[in-house]
Amino acid sequence: MVIKKGRFTIEGLENVQINIGKVTSSDEAEEPQGPTPAPDIHGLRDWDMRLLKRYEPVYSPICDLCCYCTYGKCDLTGNKEGACGINMEAHQAREAMIRTLTGAAAHAGHGRHLLNHLIKRFGADHPIDAGPSNIKAPVTQTVLGVKPETIGDFVPVLDYVEEQITQLLATAHLGQEGSAIDFESKALHAGMVDHVGMEVSDIIQISCLDMPKSQADAPLVDMGMGLIDSTKPVLLCIGHNVAAVTYIMDYMDEHDLFDKIELAGLCCTAHDMTRINTRAKVVGSLSKQLKYIRSGIPDLIIVDEQCIRADMMQETSKLHIPVIATNDKVMYGLPDRSKDDIDDIIRDLASGDQPGVLLFDYDKVGELAPKLVMKMAPIRKEKGITALPDDAEFKKLASSCTQCGACVIGCPQGLEIDKAMEAAAEGDLTLFEELHDKCIGCGRCEFECPKKIPILNVIEKAAQKVIREEKGKLRTGRGQVGDAEIREEGVNLVMGTTPGIVAIIGCPNYPDGSRDVYEVAEEMLQRSYIVVASGCSAMDIGMFKNEEGKTLYERYGGGFLKGNLLNTGSCVSNGHITATAIKVAAIFAGRDISGNFEEIADYVMCRIGAVGLAWGGFTQKALSIGTGCNRLGIPVVLGPHGPKYRRAYPGKAYDKDKWNILDSRDGSVHNVEPAPEHLLITAENKAELMPMLAKLCFRPGDNNLGRMIKLTHYIELNEKYLGVLPDDWHIYVRGEADLPLAMREKLLKILEEEHGWKIDWNKKKILEGPARKVDISFQPTNVPRLCKGAVE
Amino acid sequence: MADEFPFEISPMFEGERVRKDDMYVELAGPKSKGFELVNAVEIDEIEDGKFTLIGPDISDMEEGGRYPLAMIYRIAGELVEPDLEAIVERRNHDFQNYLQGVMHLNQRYDVWLRINKDSITKGLDSFEHIAKATMMLFRNELPFIEKIEATYITDMEKVEEELAKAMERYAARDERTRNLHDEDVDTFYGCSLCQSFAPTSVCVISPDRIALCGAINWFDGRAAAKVDPDGPQFPIEKGELLDEMGGEYSGVNEVAQKLSGGEYNRIKIHSFFEFPHTSCGCFEVVGFYMPEVDGIGWVDRDYTGMAPNGLAFSTMAGQTGGGKQVIGFLGIGVNYFRSPKFIQADGGWNRVVWMPKFLKDKVLADIPTEIVDKVATEEDAHDLDTLKEFLKEKDHPVVKNWGADEEEDEDEGSTGTSTAMPAFDMPGPAMLQNIPPMTGSGSGGMKITLKNAKVSIDKVILSSKK
Repeated sequence: MVIKKGRFTIEGLENVQINIGKVTSSDEAEEPQGPTPAPDIHGLRDWDMRLLKRYEPVYSPICDLCCYCTYGKCDLTGNKEGACGINMEAHQAREAMIRTLTGAAAHAGHGRHLLNHLIKRFGADHPIDAGPSNIKAPVTQTVLGVKPETIGDFVPVLDYVEEQITQLLATAHLGQEGSAIDFESKALHAGMVDHVGMEVSDIIQISCLDMPKSQADAPLVDMGMGLIDSTKPVLLCIGHNVAAVTYIMDYMDEHDLFDKIELAGLCCTAHDMTRINTRAKVVGSLSKQLKYIRSGIPDLIIVDEQCIRADMMQETSKLHIPVIATNDKVMYGLPDRSKDDIDDIIRDLASGDQPGVLLFDYDKVGELAPKLVMKMAPIRKEKGITALPDDAEFKKLASSCTQCGACVIGCPQGLEIDKAMEAAAEGDLTLFEELHDKCIGCGRCEFECPKKIPILNVIEKAAQKVIREEKGKLRTGRGQVGDAEIREEGVNLVMGTTPGIVAIIGCPNYPDGSRDVYEVAEEMLQRSYIVVASGCSAMDIGMFKNEEGKTLYERYGGGFLKGNLLNTGSCVSNGHITATAIKVAAIFAGRDISGNFEEIADYVMCRIGAVGLAWGGFTQKALSIGTGCNRLGIPVVLGPHGPKYRRAYPGKAYDKDKWNILDSRDGSVHNVEPAPEHLLITAENKAELMPMLAKLCFRPGDNNLGRMIKLTHYIELNEKYLGVLPDDWHIYVRGEADLPLAMREKLLKILEEEHGWKIDWNKKKILEGPARKVDISFQPTNVPRLCKGAVE
Repeated sequence: MADEFPFEISPMFEGERVRKDDMYVELAGPKSKGFELVNAVEIDEIEDGKFTLIGPDISDMEEGGRYPLAMIYRIAGELVEPDLEAIVERRNHDFQNYLQGVMHLNQRYDVWLRINKDSITKGLDSFEHIAKATMMLFRNELPFIEKIEATYITDMEKVEEELAKAMERYAARDERTRNLHDEDVDTFYGCSLCQSFAPTSVCVISPDRIALCGAINWFDGRAAAKVDPDGPQFPIEKGELLDEMGGEYSGVNEVAQKLSGGEYNRIKIHSFFEFPHTSCGCFEVVGFYMPEVDGIGWVDRDYTGMAPNGLAFSTMAGQTGGGKQVIGFLGIGVNYFRSPKFIQADGGWNRVVWMPKFLKDKVLADIPTEIVDKVATEEDAHDLDTLKEFLKEKDHPVVKNWGADEEEDEDEGSTGTSTAMPAFDMPGPAMLQNIPPMTGSGSGGMKITLKNAKVSIDKVILSSKK
């Protein structure tokens, strides 16, 4: 008998096991599926075009050549086309798309590594448990239309993300897309799938590694270079993927080693370490990386992936700090010792025969790292390794500076290192102490110095007094925002007593030091905004204290409540920020979210006063996070380095035609105030930023109470930071009830005198003037098919 | 205008605390005496903006001292009435906290104020500034106040004398609130504030039913409707009473139809099962019907465990929200438990079988004594079986509704079916707890559909038929 393709009947089955992934009952009401489950590149193009029509991309070519292929390099200035036919706009849009994709790939790659690892360790059936929520994976459900229940259910979700990234990256190849606007749509697509990748990464680690689950009162942990006890062996973990480090923590717990070893983390791995075990300490954000290595304090460094310095081995080998690389994204040309005996590896690293190794067997990492670090500490002490110059040497170095200024030009922040050197040579360290917080620790200055002064070491030596005082507190990453919290906060959002949500995300390339993010957070918290933070920003916010010695995490609650400060967690926890906006739509408006991205994004853009801030964003990941927010209708402000991402999406408030919006009750067209005014914009300094944050929380759906309180803060912040009334406050006034309480009379007078509005002074009512009146039942939408009776 | 005061006025200062070390003076509070009171008076009785101080002013006070303080506001206007006093009075707290350097805590006779040293340096030397700023805010926010006058008292003897009168006033007000019922008024209030987030939600607020967010009662609605007749809170003429027990009124139905864009056209404000009130998103408590015991359970936002039906607050709330009329689930404000008409169409408290202990304790005084011990908490029952047991043991009123055969075969532990299923289809989530077990072929006529199945078989043995 021949078996061929087709159907046949089996009469006997013996010892056959049929594996069934999931059983559902057909009686169970099926979740209604929206029009775009798992959209491909063009699936949400219509929505992108609606966004880009209002917020037209503006390009800022940081480089105006294209050097992609051997035709080039092609000069694209002066409306020239390259040899392949691409023009400047399209090339810049393509560059921005590639950056976004790089960021998305970093998170998705992280997620895939973690998922494979966790499935192996806990099984694909391990249930998702990220907190008490009805919607378990909001971003995933909105984009793909699926409701994962086990970590294994995320496998096809990441398949989708990876497919999209591949398809998108393919379009960057020569001779494919030529339209700038379509590259933008593709970038938005990349940003959206990035948020899926981030959500997957964080939900699986929360579920498997017992991290705080939507916990408003997640514990506080110590943070700062000044808190690390360097008398103990110091084990430093750098990167973003906590998988390997969990084995070290388990081993240390089992062998009671937390008192004997100082376990510290840097960057997002530190976030995730403290989410698992609060005895781990946080050194700080990314900008501390090179500084802390140069301090010579770490006795052993474990690296995983993302945001780790490329010159790690050059730096560490000088100081005899062994490096163990645990993730194949970062291998530094090191030998793979995964199959070798632990004692042999320890011997080779301790002796310095090998400056570092690759070790992909995490059981071995867990045992080896604590053993090695305890061995290294006395060896390094005995060798007398001092990284920083002593006083005499310091003086010599500072005096050798000729004040040529090359370092100042080389510095991304333009810090006046030359002046600080001059002062230091005279014995005055104050300039260096100030400079230390603004220095992002990139080390570019050293390559510019004709005298080969190790400038970073000089800065660090000069700032020792300040560094010893760098002791902050961080509320460990809480993960998702729970449904019940959103319901409770709903009253404040509706009543307007919460004026908006400010999400401070991204990296520490701050234009004027890390104190800025602390001050922004403090000001907005005092004004009852909800401040959400993540990643490096979440750390820097916790590094400063008020006069009572308390950090913001100690002064403000950690719930999704007005005037609260939430740390969602590491970079991949950013997915929970967009997830929260999606939940608001699901909870308050009862919107079906499955495969319904456009409708949800439209809801968010019309109604939820949330704004993102990447004040020090510099990585590709910060761009992809921001771009994903943009596609969901959340505006984002970048710091002054923002234009280096090559494009922005500013709105044109003066162009009335751009601000037409539909009333979904009848499809009628309404010309509304520009809200939110921009989708992606740069602020030049903190003074410009503060009122802008308040303004970007305006939405066409605001009720009077909400608008009144938002306008109050906008006007006050503008007066406080720029010294004048904003020139556009009146266009946000729809009636007297929108006017700030304490200023009502004064503002009515201005409306009458300067803008020609008609006021009934007896009743203090506005009779004529506003572009539109408030209609509480107005249901703003940008999507014609969502209007009653629409045929599309 | 704000510029005329020696302090800034902004909601930003709401959260500002004045600690002991920063404090210049403390007023009223637990270690002294004081109160705040708003009285509605006739328009010609007062002079707008007038301020009177009885007793020492701030400039006469010693640094670090503690003094009594009474704040009496008299308001007048065409639309001003005694029913609005409490609403206006409550705003004194908000407004005084807007003043930089001034901290105001609590309300009525519990008020407690502190002024910080910094404001004294900046020129806050008289209560007149505080009173004038507060009156300005009152008038700006509540334009139905045409005239307002303030009297502040810092003289202990006089404070005590006036406090006695104020206590009578508070008592009279409380009495009025307690005794005011749906039947006593012609007008209910609607609130569409939520529509900025929940487009189809319309909240009906009556004397016996607080808004389900818990933030707006009938008096609030009345005040707000007077402030802005076109605003989010608006009067609803009750119209004809169609169903007394259910609380159905023709006026309410008309408004419901109009504001929901025709989504629904009947609302019974005191009914759980029939045309229930819509639920927005921020309800404090969600009620859920359990057909297995023919009773209603309630679970609040703070309860993180599972209800006896195996579902958590978030899961049930997820089925309830979105401004929809959902049969089997109902969102309410905590204070509705205190209403004498609490789900009266469905038996009121006699139908309540379970609530978390924390919630039950909160409303304990308002649960009828004959039922109070019969309502289970998570300590008494954690699933349907233990709940049944508990209800039976306590002889809860719902037990007599259980069919005879139900009680008979109860020992067999069947929880999957209910004989007391009322005449409507339960929505989806009730099924979550009852996923039908996979049964062998031939039993019960269940059809199994395999979707995208991959059956991996190590070895297939084929043999020809003999």
